[in-house]
Formats: sequence, structure tokens, C-alpha cells
Amino acid sequence: MRNNSISAMASRSEEQHDSEIRRNQRKSFLAKIIIWILLILAAGICLLPFYSMMITATHANADITRKLLLTPGSHLIDNYQRLVDVVPIWRGFLNSLIITVSATAIGLYFSALSGYGFSKFNFKWNGPLFAFVLATMMIPGQLGIIGFFKLMNMFGLINTYWPLIVPAANNAFGLFFLKQVADSAVPKELLESGRIDGCNELQIFHRIALPLMTPAIATLGIFLFIGKWNEFLQPMIILFDNSLQPLPVMIASVRNQFSVDYGAQYVGIAISVVPIIIVFALASKKIIGNVMAGALKQ
Amino acid sequence: MFAGKIDKSRYGYLFIAPFFLVFFIFDLGPILYSFYLSFTDWSGFDTPSFVGLANYERLLQDTLFFKSIYNTLVIWILSIIPQLTIALTLALILHEKFIRGKHLFHAIFYFPNMVTPVTMGVLFALIFDWQNGSANKIIMALGIVDDPVNWFNSPFLAQLIVASILMWQWFGFNMLVFLAGLQSIPEDLYEAAEIDGANKFQTAIKITLPLLRPVLIFTMITSVIGGMQIFDQPLMIGKGPENSTLTMVMHLYEAAFVRYEYGYGAAIAYGIFVLIAVATAFSMWMTKIREKKEGVS
Amino acid sequence: MRKSFTFIMMFSVLIIGVLAGCSGDSEEAGSNNGEEMNNENMEPEDFEGTLDIWTFFGGVEGMAESFEEKYPNVDVNVEVFPGDQYQTKLMTAIQSRTDVPDIFDLERSYMGKFINQEFVANLSDMGADELVEGQVEYVKELGTGENGDVRAISDHSSPGAFWYHRDLAKEYLGTDDPQEISEMVSSWDKIIELGQKVYEESDGEVNLLSHYGDVFNTEKQHQEQWVQDGKLVVDPAWKDIFNNMKQIRENNVDAKLGYFSGGWGDALNEGGVIMFAMPAWGGFMIDNEDGKAEGKYGIAKTPSGYYEGGTYRSIYEGSDNKQLAYEFVRYISSEEWQNKNLEETGNMPALTSVYEENLDSYTHEFFGEQKILEQYYDLVQDVPAHEAGENNNDISTLFYDAASSAIDGGQSYEQAIEKFKKSVANGYPEIEIE
Repeated sequence: MRNNSISAMASRSEEQHDSEIRRNQRKSFLAKIIIWILLILAAGICLLPFYSMMITATHANADITRKLLLTPGSHLIDNYQRLVDVVPIWRGFLNSLIITVSATAIGLYFSALSGYGFSKFNFKWNGPLFAFVLATMMIPGQLGIIGFFKLMNMFGLINTYWPLIVPAANNAFGLFFLKQVADSAVPKELLESGRIDGCNELQIFHRIALPLMTPAIATLGIFLFIGKWNEFLQPMIILFDNSLQPLPVMIASVRNQFSVDYGAQYVGIAISVVPIIIVFALASKKIIGNVMAGALKQ
Repeated sequence: MFAGKIDKSRYGYLFIAPFFLVFFIFDLGPILYSFYLSFTDWSGFDTPSFVGLANYERLLQDTLFFKSIYNTLVIWILSIIPQLTIALTLALILHEKFIRGKHLFHAIFYFPNMVTPVTMGVLFALIFDWQNGSANKIIMALGIVDDPVNWFNSPFLAQLIVASILMWQWFGFNMLVFLAGLQSIPEDLYEAAEIDGANKFQTAIKITLPLLRPVLIFTMITSVIGGMQIFDQPLMIGKGPENSTLTMVMHLYEAAFVRYEYGYGAAIAYGIFVLIAVATAFSMWMTKIREKKEGVS
Repeated sequence: MRKSFTFIMMFSVLIIGVLAGCSGDSEEAGSNNGEEMNNENMEPEDFEGTLDIWTFFGGVEGMAESFEEKYPNVDVNVEVFPGDQYQTKLMTAIQSRTDVPDIFDLERSYMGKFINQEFVANLSDMGADELVEGQVEYVKELGTGENGDVRAISDHSSPGAFWYHRDLAKEYLGTDDPQEISEMVSSWDKIIELGQKVYEESDGEVNLLSHYGDVFNTEKQHQEQWVQDGKLVVDPAWKDIFNNMKQIRENNVDAKLGYFSGGWGDALNEGGVIMFAMPAWGGFMIDNEDGKAEGKYGIAKTPSGYYEGGTYRSIYEGSDNKQLAYEFVRYISSEEWQNKNLEETGNMPALTSVYEENLDSYTHEFFGEQKILEQYYDLVQDVPAHEAGENNNDISTLFYDAASSAIDGGQSYEQAIEKFKKSVANGYPEIEIE
């Protein structure tokens, strides 16, 4: 009797437990469905204008400003022809690639270096200097271009790529971002153990800190690459030869006296978006790949 | 060992030296030059003539400048709250294991940030057109309104539209920042929590958010600094009814590059700088960044 | 410690350098002053060398090619810098006297700020007075500087007119004849009356005009200048403009389609609106795939003549290539080039003689057999001649902003003027306002 009741209780509670799990599973299944629907909806809202931007490249000028275009048109070749007649677009592509790749590489390395420096070394002026870095982000940059031109002219760097590439080394945004990431992603104990192993400070940074910061560096890489790739004002002011200009300047040049040749411009935009997507795909793998776990086990 | 630690901290200067070196060579000059211009009257062609504080005095009496501060704040608040909420939620969702094709979603949610301003301008003009816009067609078909809404005739609606463009363009960016932060959290912490029987919500509150704190602070502060300098989106919409979408930096741009009053434009720039500095200090105080820092180190 | 010392050194060098760079800008003014160029006596083959031109649109390359064809020994180097930032580019280069081109293009909207500066060569000194003598008055006057000298020259005019749908005009106005229709819309009162009729007869399906902004666009050059002796002067005629705009909106004469908006473009191509006040260069908005727009439109005269846009060319005072630069300007001022330009691009000429020469012959596919220069020539001569001015246009835009926001918000003219004065006071504190 007693045994029976105990086993009955036990089996009941087991049943209860089972059904609870099942209910939970059903609940989480439902939650997953809802999440998926939301994700796809949001994706649609994001994708549509982007898709429309690509599709627009295949339409005639008279249609472009009038309609939200969603089906392919027949003017791609015409538009492309007008584009290449006016500007050496592939030369611009190469120019953009040179400027962007070098500036991104420099920007990433020095942002990581200085961000790590601010995060892990408790030197005397750490606080004030960091506040200074933040302050440099707060001055609206629109007017700076005039002084920048004068200065580069003094240095004799006008019409070269140096002013577009080297300043990438002082990116306050990148520094701040990687400092915050280093704060949480790079444990001090690991650095100490590196020091005990006899590594010097730069080796510790390269061998221990950099791998730990990879996901964030990849993310920053996307931001820096796209920002530089789309930069318009600086190259236009600094460079004097049209053939040295990067894509955005070349694309914007495609216009008649009174009107913009949208069709040709959109073909240019389509051309310029392709490498961005490639960079995205590459960097995105780095963000996903869980570098952290691997690094810790070493 | 402690002595060694103190010694090492001076290496920090070496790590940050390249940053400051490049800053002094390339960036400081232009900044100082603009500062100098703010004390001059300069149309861009003649020699700047020194006028003392006149530009700043004018700034303090410029009602449009004060209006632009208000506009910027309204647009910023309307865009930043939903933007960060959506970004964080999406980042937490996309960080889950069961989501397949994460890459794809990363890219797609970031796409709006890559749409060029010209496309954006054309697109939003088409959507929010008074007579022919799709927004009006939809809400009229749904029976919400009888007559088409003249979006750009109402100051608040115009601000709301600019704010939604901003939100749409930037939530993916913040989502990626959050994801990078999430990826930096060691996996073993989650495993430990799972063994202790914590559910998803508990792990999010107890583990994820505290460890995400540095990245959250980063987002907060850069949103303040960047948000106060909103420019591209309102520029493509225009000044709006009653100048309601004229932001601070747009006001600067109009003075300097439309009216060729570079001296006054420079003064506006430094006015904006002071406001942003105050706003940033305030938000740092809000997040108690100092207390936290001392607690960590 | 040593490092921070180096910083301070560099820092101070930089400041000194930057500050030094901005004073002492006045070098080499007028190396060629008062020297007439005598280009008339030279043959095209006599000119040699390289000419640098800066512009904000790619079309100048075609112009340069045509020049190179005629002048075989000249190489024209065109650099295109797009967007509004072209002005900034030009300005920074001129300030530092770095690589400034021999010729630079200026757009109508900002040329007033440039042409009176000392780095712009005085073209009258080179004999340009006779180049512009035969030009349409308004085109000539815009390029004239404060002292009455020629400072910038254009190769085209850009008159506006009503473009109307021939089929809709036949249906609702009873005719598609340009002369008759011009007569029907020769004043805003007539337009308002006609517009009401069209709206009623079509049961609200069709409007005569696209937007009340047409009133402002076509009339805005016919008032007194805004600033006289440092004071803001509000010409009473602005009140008529305001009232006409208001009545057009209240009587459903317009379809409320913003100028150059998507809906406006649809109406221009597909109907729903009968006529559009737009410039001669607006044809790119028309969809002519498979020739479907051939003969679809007519041109009627607007109540007043007006123009929209325009590109001018100036020569850099410090150029060491002025004679060749002047020859280029002389070339684009010639009948030869302007005839060619009309034929190839449809840009209206600047010279009255080119108008007259083509008056009875020039047709364009959009307008069938209509000799459109007849209408344009009348209109372009009706455009009042004004100097480019530094801010007259910008102030007009402020007026339109205030007026349209008052009309859309159901406010009066007085309220609009109050708003307008406020925005002028903010943007131009040096202007005295009552």
C-alpha cells in the first residue's frame, strides 16, 4: 500500500515532469517560430530598399525618380555604357581598393594597439588622455576640411593618397570600441602569465590580446572598410587628377549640365557594393567563429 | 611582482603614442585652424579679419541655433531608444545557437547602413509623398485616414520621419557592436550557468548584461556624440516645416557652405562641441563609468 | 619627457604654419591687366599648349573635344569635381594658389559670391565686351561684375515655359495650339479661372497645374531686389504672388505635386495634370522609350518670362595661359559652338542671333512640328536682367519657404512675412529689417 502509493506518486511526478518538458519544448518551439517570423520580417524591411537600389541600375533615367522599382528593366547595358564613356570606373575601383584596404589595415592595427594600451596599462595620464581622445570626436568635422587642405598643401601631400590613408591610424571611434572590448575580453591573468613566460609587452599584445579581440576587430573592420569605401569629400578635395579619384567621386561625376544621370550612377553604385558584400562575408565568419573558446584553451 | 606591474604600466605610453603622433600631425592643425576662424569674419576668399567674440555673441542670440538644439534632441531621442532596444534584442537573438544563417542576418540587418544617401532621398520622397506616396496609400487603404497626410507639413511628423530613417539605418550597426561584445564573453561562463540550472532569461540578466557593460557604455556614449551630429539624413529631407528638421550641424553647414560665413560656421561648430561635451559628461555620470572603472581595476 | 618635448615642438611648428598659411594671400594680381588679346587676328592653328578646366559636370568634356577638333595644337584637360562640394574644392585651391585651373565653371546659384573676387580675371580687359554684346540681356548681366566689367561668360540661356500635354489640352482646353493656349494662360487670374473649370469638368480627375510653386518660380525674378542700401525691401508684388499661390491651392487648380517629385514626374509622363512650368533643359524627365513621347507636348508661354539654372565660365587671374583660356571662352561664345550645342544637346543659346537664325527651323521631337524657339525667344527676352548678387536668390528661397508653410497651414500673408523676416534676421544679421 505504502509502496504502491509511493511509486504512484513517483510515477505521477515523473509524468508531470515529462509533460512539463513537453510543454516547455512546445513553448520554446512556438517562441522560435515567432522569432523566425520577426527576423524575416525585419530582414524584408532592410532588404527591400537595398534590392531596389540594385534593380534601379537596370532602368531608364525617366523612370528612376518616379517609382519604387522592383522588377528588372532592360537598360543595364545602356547605363553601363554611359558610365564607362564618362569615367574610368574600373580605374576608380582600383583606386578605392588601394586606399580602403591600406587605410582599414592601418586603422585596425592602431586602434587595437592604442585601445589595448588604454585598457590594460594604468599609467598616470590614462584618464585625461582618454577624455581627450573622446573630445576629438565631439568637434563637428565639416569645417576641418579647409584647414586640412592647407596643412596637406604645406606638407606637399596634395594629390597623393597619404592624407587619405595615414590619418586612419588615429581613429578615436575605433580606439574607444576596442578599449571597451579589451576591458571585458582580455583577462589580466592571461597577460600576467605571458609576462611570466618572458614575453615582452608587444609580444603579449600580438600573441595573446589580438586573438582574443578578433571578433571585435572583424566588426570594426567592416565599419572602417565601408566608411572609407564610401568616403567622398576628403578624396575630392585632396586629389586633383580625376583618374586618381575613388569610386564615389567618379560615380557622382556622371551628370549632365542640369541633371544627374541616375541610371549610370546606379550602375556605379552596384559595382561599388559588390566588394563591400565580399568583405562582409569574410569578416562575418570571424565574428561568428568562436575564437574565444579556442584562445582560452591555449 | 607588484613592482614589475607598476613598471609595466608606463609601457602604455608606447602603445598609445602612434595614435597621438598621427593626431598631432594630421588632425590638430585643422582643429586649431577652425578655432582660429571662429574669432574671425571670413567669407572664404579675402583674408580673415579678427572680430573677437562677435561670432559667439551672435550665436547666443541666434534663435535658430537654439531651435536646432531642440530639433536635434527630439530627433535623437525618437530614434535612439527604439534603435538600441531593437539592436540589443536582435543581437541577443542572433547570438542564440538555434538560429541558422546568422551571417545572412548580420549582413541583411546592416544593409540599410550601406544604402547611399541619394537612394535614401529618392526612396523616402517616394514613400512619404503627399499625393502619391506609398505610406499614404497604405494607411488610406486600411481606413486609418480619409485624406492623405501631408507628412512634411507637420513639424513633429517630419521629425518622426527623420528619426525613423536614422533608426532604420543604424540599428544594424549597433547590433553588430553588441554582437562583437557578446562574442567576447567566454563560453564557459554560459556552460557553468547551464549546469546551475539557470534559464535563458536569468543568464541574460545575470551574466550577459553585466559582461556586456563596457560595450553598452561604448554604444551609449558614441550614440550621444554621433547623435548630436546628425546631418546626412536631415540634409536630404531638407529643413522641414518651420525648420523642424534643421539640426545643429545642418545649421553649421548652411552658415559656412551655403552663406559662406566660415567664421560664424566655426563658432557654431565650437558651440556644438561644448554641448556634446556636456551631454557626454552627463551620460558618463549616468552610467557611472568612473565608479565602475575603479571597481574593475 | 623627451617625447613630450618633441610633441610640443611639432605642435608649435604646426600652429605657426597653419596660421601663416592663411594670411599673405595676395600675390600676383593682374599680370596681364589692360592687355587686349587680339585673338581675332590669329588662326586656330596658331594656338598651342594645354588648358586646364574645372567643372562640376561631365558634359564639358564634349565641349573640350569640339574645341580640340578646331584647334589641333591645343590640349584641353577637363577635371570634374561633382556635387555642392565643388565650390569648396575650388575655394581651397584658390586660397592656397595650388594647381588652380585656367578656367573654372560656376553655377548660377553661387556665382555671385565668386565673380567679384580679385582672383577672377576681368574679361572686359581682354575684349570680352564684344563677345557678350549680342547675348540675351539676362545672361549677359549675370556675368557682369560690380564695376560693370565682364567676369564670367555663359554659352547658353535656360528659359522656362509651360510644357503641356497636347491630348489633355485638346480635351479640356479645346485646342492644342501653342498660340491659343499661351493666350489662355497669359495671366494668373486667367489661369485660376481656367483651372477651376478644368477641375469641375473632369470631376476632380485633372488639374491644370502641378503645384502652386509654379507661380513663385516664374515670377520670382520680376521683383525689386531684396536688399537695397543694406535694408530689406519687400516689393508689394510679393503679396500678389502669395495670393495667387493661395488661390491656386484653394480652388484646386493644382494637383499638389511637388516640383520634380515622383508624382510630378508621373503626371508629366502619364497625365492627370495639363501643364508644367519647367525649364527648357527638363526633357530628361520625359520617358521617350521607343519614341512614345514624340509630339506629345506643346510649349506655351508663362505669364512672365523666367529662367532656371545656368553655368558660367571664368578665367583665373593668376593663370599664365590667359590668351589660350580667352580663346576657349571666345569659342563657346561663338555662333558656331552655340548652334552646335543647340543641335546636339538641345541647350538654348545665349546669343540672340542664334535664336533668330533657328526661329523658323528648330524643332524637337517631343513637340512635333512646333517651332519652340518662338515661345522661348519671347520669354527669354522678358526675363529681367539682374547682377548675380550675393544673396538675392537665397533670400527669395526663404520667402518661398515662409509663404508655402503659411499657405499649407492656412495662415495669412502678414503671418508669412513675419516668419520670413525672422529667418532673414537669423541668416543675415547685417541686413536692416523694419
